[in-house]
Amino acid sequence: MSDPKIEGYVFKPGFKGMAQDTGSDQTMFKGVHWGKAMMWIFLLSDTFIFSCFLISYMKGRGSTLVEWPNPSEVFALDAFGVPVPLLLIAIMTFVLITSSGTMALAVKYGYEKNRKMCGWLILATAIGGLTFVGMQAFEWSKLIHEGVRPWENPFGAKQFGSFFFMITGFHGTHVSIGVIFLFIYAYKTFAGHYDERKRGWFTTMKGDYVEIEILGLYWHFVDLVWVFIFAFFYLW
Amino acid sequence: MSEDFKDNKTIQAQSSETISGGGSGVSPDIDHVRPAEVEEQDLYHGHSFITKWIFCQDAKVIGVQYFLLATFTGIIGLILSWLMRLQLGFPGAASFMTAEHYYQFVTMHGMIMVVYFLTALFLGGFGNYLIPLMVGARDMVFPYLNMVSFWMFFIAVGVLLASFFVPGGPTGAGWTLYPPQTILEGTPGSGMGILLMCLSLILFVAGFTMGGLNYLITVLQARTRGMTLMRMPLTVWGIFTATVLAMLAFPALLVGALMMSLDKILGTSFFMPTILKAGEVLEYGGGSPILFQHLFWFFGHPEVYIVALPAFGIISDLISVHSRKNIFGYRMMVWAIVGIGGLSFFVWAHHMYVSGMNPWFGFFFATTTLIIAVPTAMKVYNWILTLWRGNIRMNTVMLWCLGFIVTFVNGGITGIFLGNVTVDVPLSDTYFVIAHFHMVMGIAPLMVIMGAVYHWFPLVAGRFLDEKLGKWHFWATFLGAYSIYFPMHYLGFIGVPRRYFEMYDSPYVASATGMNEFISLAAFLVGAAQFILIFNIIKTLKTGKPAGSNPWKACSLEWLTPTVPPEHGNWGDRLPVVHRWAYDYSVPGAKEDFITQTTPPSEVVNTGVEKT
Amino acid sequence: MEETKKQEQTTTHKIGIYLWIWGLLFVLSFFSYMVDWYQFQGLLRWSLILLFMFLKAGLIMAFFMHLFWERYALVNVLLWPMTAIACFIFLMVSEFKYTVFTRLFYFVVGGA
Repeated sequence: MSDPKIEGYVFKPGFKGMAQDTGSDQTMFKGVHWGKAMMWIFLLSDTFIFSCFLISYMKGRGSTLVEWPNPSEVFALDAFGVPVPLLLIAIMTFVLITSSGTMALAVKYGYEKNRKMCGWLILATAIGGLTFVGMQAFEWSKLIHEGVRPWENPFGAKQFGSFFFMITGFHGTHVSIGVIFLFIYAYKTFAGHYDERKRGWFTTMKGDYVEIEILGLYWHFVDLVWVFIFAFFYLW
Repeated sequence: MSEDFKDNKTIQAQSSETISGGGSGVSPDIDHVRPAEVEEQDLYHGHSFITKWIFCQDAKVIGVQYFLLATFTGIIGLILSWLMRLQLGFPGAASFMTAEHYYQFVTMHGMIMVVYFLTALFLGGFGNYLIPLMVGARDMVFPYLNMVSFWMFFIAVGVLLASFFVPGGPTGAGWTLYPPQTILEGTPGSGMGILLMCLSLILFVAGFTMGGLNYLITVLQARTRGMTLMRMPLTVWGIFTATVLAMLAFPALLVGALMMSLDKILGTSFFMPTILKAGEVLEYGGGSPILFQHLFWFFGHPEVYIVALPAFGIISDLISVHSRKNIFGYRMMVWAIVGIGGLSFFVWAHHMYVSGMNPWFGFFFATTTLIIAVPTAMKVYNWILTLWRGNIRMNTVMLWCLGFIVTFVNGGITGIFLGNVTVDVPLSDTYFVIAHFHMVMGIAPLMVIMGAVYHWFPLVAGRFLDEKLGKWHFWATFLGAYSIYFPMHYLGFIGVPRRYFEMYDSPYVASATGMNEFISLAAFLVGAAQFILIFNIIKTLKTGKPAGSNPWKACSLEWLTPTVPPEHGNWGDRLPVVHRWAYDYSVPGAKEDFITQTTPPSEVVNTGVEKT
Repeated sequence: MEETKKQEQTTTHKIGIYLWIWGLLFVLSFFSYMVDWYQFQGLLRWSLILLFMFLKAGLIMAFFMHLFWERYALVNVLLWPMTAIACFIFLMVSEFKYTVFTRLFYFVVGGA
C-alpha cells in the first residue's frame, strides 16, 4: 500500500526510490510484510506456470494441421431456444470479476479493522468462487456429453480437448484451493483471530489482517489468469 | 542512498587527527546504524526429539537434512555411474547389464545428479544452513514452510527410488525424457517408470518452491541492521540468484512433466505426433515433440546455472578467505552473477541445434550463448586476480578451489565450442558433450561442494576435518576426474556416440576400447575416493581437532555466532549489526589480517578499509 | 513493538476507487464479449482481444492487487521477468509456423 513510516528512512519516489530501497539495509521492499512478499514471488512463479501452459497451447494449436474447432460455437449455450455464443463463459467471467471486487473491498475493510464487513465480504467472495467452480463443472459435463475428451473431440483437432481440460482444470484447481482458504479465512475473521493476533493452526504464526491482503492477492491472480484464458481460449 | 547512509559513508580511511579533531576522541555517531524496521522473529522452539531433529523448523537442521538426503541420492547416482562404466569399459563383464538396464541407469544417473543431488545440495543444503547465518537472521522467514519443503523433497526422492521396484523399472529415456519415445513401448520403463519420474519431479518442484520462497524472502526482507545487498557474501548472492532462476525455470519443467503424464495416462497428444508402429497407426496424432524439448530446456538451461551460480558464489568466499584478500571486483562479481542469471533464460535452445527446430534459432541462441560467456569469464579472471599476491593458505579447501578453477575453465572452453552451431553439429551426441558438461557442471560444482564441506565443517560440527585425508581425497578426485573426462574429449572428436550400450563392430571399437577401459578404471577409483570423505567425517566427529570460534579468521557473519555450532535462533540475545562487507582481509593498518563485518568503524579508524 | 504499531496504521483507499475499477472491469469484459458477438475477424479481432485483455489485467494488477501504490522496487521485480516469457512467446510463434511449414512440406506436398 502507500509508503509506511520507517524511523531514520526518508522515502524517495520512482526509480530513485527503487535504487535507494534496493541499496538499503534490512529490507528491499520497505514496509512489505514477509508473507505478502512471499505471495508476490509465488504468484510470479505461478505466472510462469500458466504462461508455459498458454505458450504450449499456442504452439500446439498453431502447429496442428487439423482444423481447430470454433470456440464461439462449441461454447454456445441455448437460451430460450436461441444459441447464444459464449453465454456461460460470459456469466462465469461476470461471477469471477464480481468476486474479485468483493475481495478487494474485504481487504480494504480488513485494514480498517471492520471485522464484520470484512468477514461477510470474504464469505461473498467464497460463494462467488464456488459458483464459478460449479459452472465450470457444468461446462465440462456439457462438453463431455457432446463427446469432447482429453484424447479426442468430434469437432476437429485432438489437442482442443486436451488443452481445454488441462488448462481450465488447472485454473479450476486454483479457484477451488482459493475457495477453501476463503472459507477458512472467513471463519478466522469472524472468530476474531486477526484482532486477537491468535496463532495459526499449523504455522504457529501470529494472525494479522495483512493475511487477508495476501489471500486477496492470490484471489485476484486467479481472476487475472482467467482474463488471459478467456482471451486466448474462448475468443481466439 | 546518500542521506540515510551518511554516517556509514564516513568510514573512509581517515587519519586519527581529522577524526579526533578537538581531542575528544571519535565522534559517537560514526557507528550509528538505522534501527530495526521489523520486530524480532517469533520462533517455534522444538521440545521433543521429533520437533528438534525430524520435523524440525530450524533452518540449520533442515540444511543438514537436505545435505544428508542429497548425498544419499548422490551415492546412488555414483553407483549407477559405476555400473555404466563397467559396461562401457568391459562389455559383458556383468551378466545382469542388459541394454535396458544400461539406459535406465543412464537416465537415473543424470536426473539424480542434476536435480536431486546438486540442486538439492546447493540450494537446500548450503542455502538453508548459510543464508540465515550470513545475512544475520534468526532463521528462515517461514520455518514451517521450510520444514514442509524438506519433507516434500523426501517424498520426491522416495517416489523416484520407488521406480526401481515397479514393473518395467525406472524410465530409460535419457535424463531429458524426450517424447515420443519416452512413453512408447520399447523404451524401458515407459509404463510406471516414467509416471513415477514425472510425479517425483512435480513433487520436487512443489517442495522446492516452498524452500525457494523462504530463501528469497529471507535475503530480501530479513537481513540484519546494516546488511545491505551489496555487503552480502557472494555465497548468498549465488544461492539467491540461483533460487530466483529456480522459481522461474521449474514451472516449465512442472508443465512439461504434467503434460507428459497426461499423454501417458489419458492418451492426450500434447507431445505425440502421428506414429506408425509396426505398420499400425497409434491413437496419438498432431502433437509436437519439439514443444517438450523447448519446455524442458527452458527449465534445463537455467538449471545449469542453478547448479553453477551457488558454486560461483561459494568458491569466491573460499578463495577470498584462504588467500587472505578481498575478492577482486566484488561489485563486478555480483553483477556477473545477476547477468548470468538473467541471460540464462535466453539461451535454452543451444541444447537443440540438431533437434529440427526452426533453423534460424541457431543464430539467435549461438549469439546469446557466446554473450553469456563474457560475465562467466570475468568471474574466472576475478578469482585468479584474488589469488594474485594473496597470502595463500595451501590447505585442502584451497586445493579444491584451485581444482575448481582449472576444471571450470576446461569445461567452459569446450562450452564455447558447443555453443557454435557449426561446431556443435558434428560434435552433438558424442562423448565430447559428455566430457563438456561433466567438467563444467559435474566435476566443477563437486569440487566446490567438497571445498565447502572442508571449509564449513568446523562451523557445523565444531571440529576440523583431517587435512591429510583431505589431501588424499582431493588428489585422487582431481587426477582421477581428469583421467576420466580428458580422454572423453578425444573419443568425441573421433565420433564415438554417447548413450550407446555397446560399440558392437563399429570402426570405433579398435580406437576406443583401450581408452574406455582406462576411463572405467579411473571412474571406479574416483568413485571410491569419495568414501574417504565419509570416513573422514566419521573419524572427525569422534576424534577431530576442536575448531573453536572463527577458526579460519573469516569476516563473514556465520562465524561470529555466540556459540559454535550455532544454536536455534543463531544469535543469542542480540542480532549482529553489520558495518562493512564480508571481505576486509589484510587491511593496511589493521591489528589483524581480517576485520569482521560486525566491527564498528570507530575501532578501525586508522586503517585503510574500503567504503562499502 | 512500537515499530509494528506504526505499520498497523496502513492508509486504505476510498471505496470509490474500487467501485470505479470494478465497473470498468465489467465494461471491458462486455466489450471483449462483443468482439465475439459481432464476429470481428483477422487483425482487428486480435488487436481488440489483446487490448481489452491487457487493460483488464492492468486494472486488476494496478488497483485490486495494489501494484499502483507499491514502490518501484517491488513493481520492477515483478515485471522484468516477463521479458523471458515474452521471448519464449515470440520464439514459439516462429517455431509453430516452422512446424506447420515442415508438416505441409513433407506430409502434404511430399518433400523436395
